[in-house]
Amino acid sequence: MSEMHDTLVDFVKVLRTADIKVSPAETLDAMQTLDIVGFEDRQFLKNSLSLVLSKNPEEKEAFEDCFDRYFTFDKFKPSESGEDSDSANDDHFDEDGDFDADSNQQSQQGGKGSGMGGGQGGGSEETEEMEALSPSSELGKLLLEGSRTDVMVQMAEAGREVEVNQIVVFTQKGLYTRKIMDAMGLKGLQEEIGELQDEGGRPQNQLAGRLKKARDQLREAVRDYVEKQFMLHADESGKQLREELLRKVKLSNLEKRNFKDVQEIVIKMAKKLIAIHSKRRKTFKRGQLDVRKTLRNNMQYDGALFDIKWKSQKVDRPKVMCICDVSGSVSNYSRFLLMFLYSLSEILPKVRSFAFSSDLGEVTRLFDQNNLEDAMAKTMRDYGNGSTDYGQMLEDFRRHCMKDVDSKTTIIILGDARNNYGNPKAEILREMYDKAQRVIWLNPEPKSSWTVGDAEMKKYAPCCHQTEVCNSLTHLERVVTNLLRVAR
Amino acid sequence: MAIKNEDKLKDVEAIQENFGSLDYICSLEIATAVFLAYHLEKPVLIEGPPGVGKTELAKTTADMLDLPCVRLQCYEGLDESKAIYEWKYGKQLLYTQVLKETLGEILDGAKGLSESVTKLHDFGDIFFSEEFLEPRPLLKALKEEESCVLLIDEVDKSDHEFESLLLEMLSDYQLSIPEIGTVKAHPEKKPLVFLTSNNTREISDALKRRCLHLYIPFPEADLEKQIVQARVPDIPPRLNDQLVAFIQELREMDLKKVPAISETIDWARTLILLHTESLDPDLVKQTLNVILKFQEDVETVHAELQGVTSRAIKAAPNA
Repeated sequence: MSEMHDTLVDFVKVLRTADIKVSPAETLDAMQTLDIVGFEDRQFLKNSLSLVLSKNPEEKEAFEDCFDRYFTFDKFKPSESGEDSDSANDDHFDEDGDFDADSNQQSQQGGKGSGMGGGQGGGSEETEEMEALSPSSELGKLLLEGSRTDVMVQMAEAGREVEVNQIVVFTQKGLYTRKIMDAMGLKGLQEEIGELQDEGGRPQNQLAGRLKKARDQLREAVRDYVEKQFMLHADESGKQLREELLRKVKLSNLEKRNFKDVQEIVIKMAKKLIAIHSKRRKTFKRGQLDVRKTLRNNMQYDGALFDIKWKSQKVDRPKVMCICDVSGSVSNYSRFLLMFLYSLSEILPKVRSFAFSSDLGEVTRLFDQNNLEDAMAKTMRDYGNGSTDYGQMLEDFRRHCMKDVDSKTTIIILGDARNNYGNPKAEILREMYDKAQRVIWLNPEPKSSWTVGDAEMKKYAPCCHQTEVCNSLTHLERVVTNLLRVAR
Repeated sequence: MAIKNEDKLKDVEAIQENFGSLDYICSLEIATAVFLAYHLEKPVLIEGPPGVGKTELAKTTADMLDLPCVRLQCYEGLDESKAIYEWKYGKQLLYTQVLKETLGEILDGAKGLSESVTKLHDFGDIFFSEEFLEPRPLLKALKEEESCVLLIDEVDKSDHEFESLLLEMLSDYQLSIPEIGTVKAHPEKKPLVFLTSNNTREISDALKRRCLHLYIPFPEADLEKQIVQARVPDIPPRLNDQLVAFIQELREMDLKKVPAISETIDWARTLILLHTESLDPDLVKQTLNVILKFQEDVETVHAELQGVTSRAIKAAPNA
């Protein structure tokens, strides 16, 4: 059973790379399930594990896929000779039973077919002779005498030994095939074949022939096995690698074709943040008499109820105002910031977004009504690509929005603070700084160029609670996490 | 575990059959979930669109095992005093009154304050004791002598805090009451717990981790026919075929709310009442409001009524 458990752990690893969250506790549950269910009935096992391991419809779909791909052991064709009788053949199949991927019947047919092919077209007298000679090397014995399941188990074990699940690129396939063959004892087998051929003699040659055939079939099977492992492990880790890279790459360097991936990552990050933070948010509620508290508190007054306690919970909803520079140079960054904030709508119910090049405009409604793509496009059309004027923006903000800023508001400004040598009007930012809970300035440029040329960061920075370099998704994530921590 | 009628849960086929005899036709996945829930002693979280029989599954399980079904309907604002326990405040107040009157007798002969406090302590305190405890569904389910089926309905409607309250119950089958201690279920007779969710919000991972997760989708045509046959035995097979074909096609359309099994059954009953032998467009038009619950949907379907009906009629071979 413990071997099965190992397999299961491996399987769980595969599930995780396929984005199914499986906790150790769930793995333990799965083992327990395996003990109860057994693995005779493939469909039953699949249903059961699906119940334990995958926890939403998308995961269930991914699970089915992984299960089918992982538990596929039908490609190996046993090389018993035709005389090895059908009943023996059947036995082998019963042993590994329904655990095979394809329906039992199919693999049985395949097995029989190859069994015939493997037969050397000889009569029964040859069989007797051959039986007198049996292979001496371990692998040879296994191949000619062991059942198909045994071979598969050996192969899987060898695979584990050489850590085939570490395979990353497809050029390694040959290498791992070799390694697995070696681990299974190819050398012994080769030597035996060589010896047999040297000895000459008809039975020896017969046996050598059979061994060779078996070896080739095994190689074929191992290659298939490695191929599958590659599909299972490398494909996903390739994706992980890509995601990892995309997180770190500068947002402005992102290419159009990567946008979709990035969007996925953004949503994933946002989900994570939601999971971390949403549980602690409380809503305000008052008006229900808390009888227990009241009684407790009034016990000291002889049970006369005059100090009445109400059920109340803390109010705690951050207001976020997000002002994004959408002039050509920084539009990519604002795009992702807005995306991020919108994905967070579950925990940040009050996000107001503004966009500007020179004149400030509110795009909250636009974002509510359109999907991200359209909203971004419309924002760019309406506000984008003008020459930047931070002074005008702040002026507009003071006129329209200053009254909504209170001590619970967090203001995020995203821009490079390059003002084309216009009036920066930092005093308005100072006013915002005084009224708001926090003012955060995210600047996509590296800190060294914050004061170079027409950049006004030097004037703006003192009027912000926090200034940050922000030019990759990792940065964004950190900023938003901090924001949530404070806003809570 | 050892509960009443345990043999009815001995394997998946048996469960399916026993459900069948109670007119609950279920797929293999559902039966597997019930089987594992019992043998792994784990709660089942059931998700799926409304009207596919999530709540019904719990109730049928209770019926099948002949166990009481304790139900907790979740809603926003549900808290421990409604889900777990509440003190009987009125009686507690009376008790303090009684205590006050007998205070003289208790303290009789005590010298000094410390001595009277000691005497008071010795007297024993039942202010917070099971006598004054009003069990609510969760606690009731734990205390059930013969085990029971606990149905926590629409758990997604409750607050995040309530979910955390459930965790102790779901993983260890116990509840902590600060004043008294921990109440545990009989180790051999743990309740079978079903939680249902319509997925109006994401259930937390902590809760999901403790449960088996069963997703019940809309049934395939064959299964749905069986269900209708079981629930509305009078229905002629041909009408059944047409009806199910019609509903299955509706589910492919862009509707606000697609008809679920419960609507199919309602519709079947309606058609029987109207002595229908076979679908025709007029009749469908008149009874459409049984399966569609939004005027917009009704209008959408009206436009394509003729086509859908004739396809549905064609789908069923003439009897």
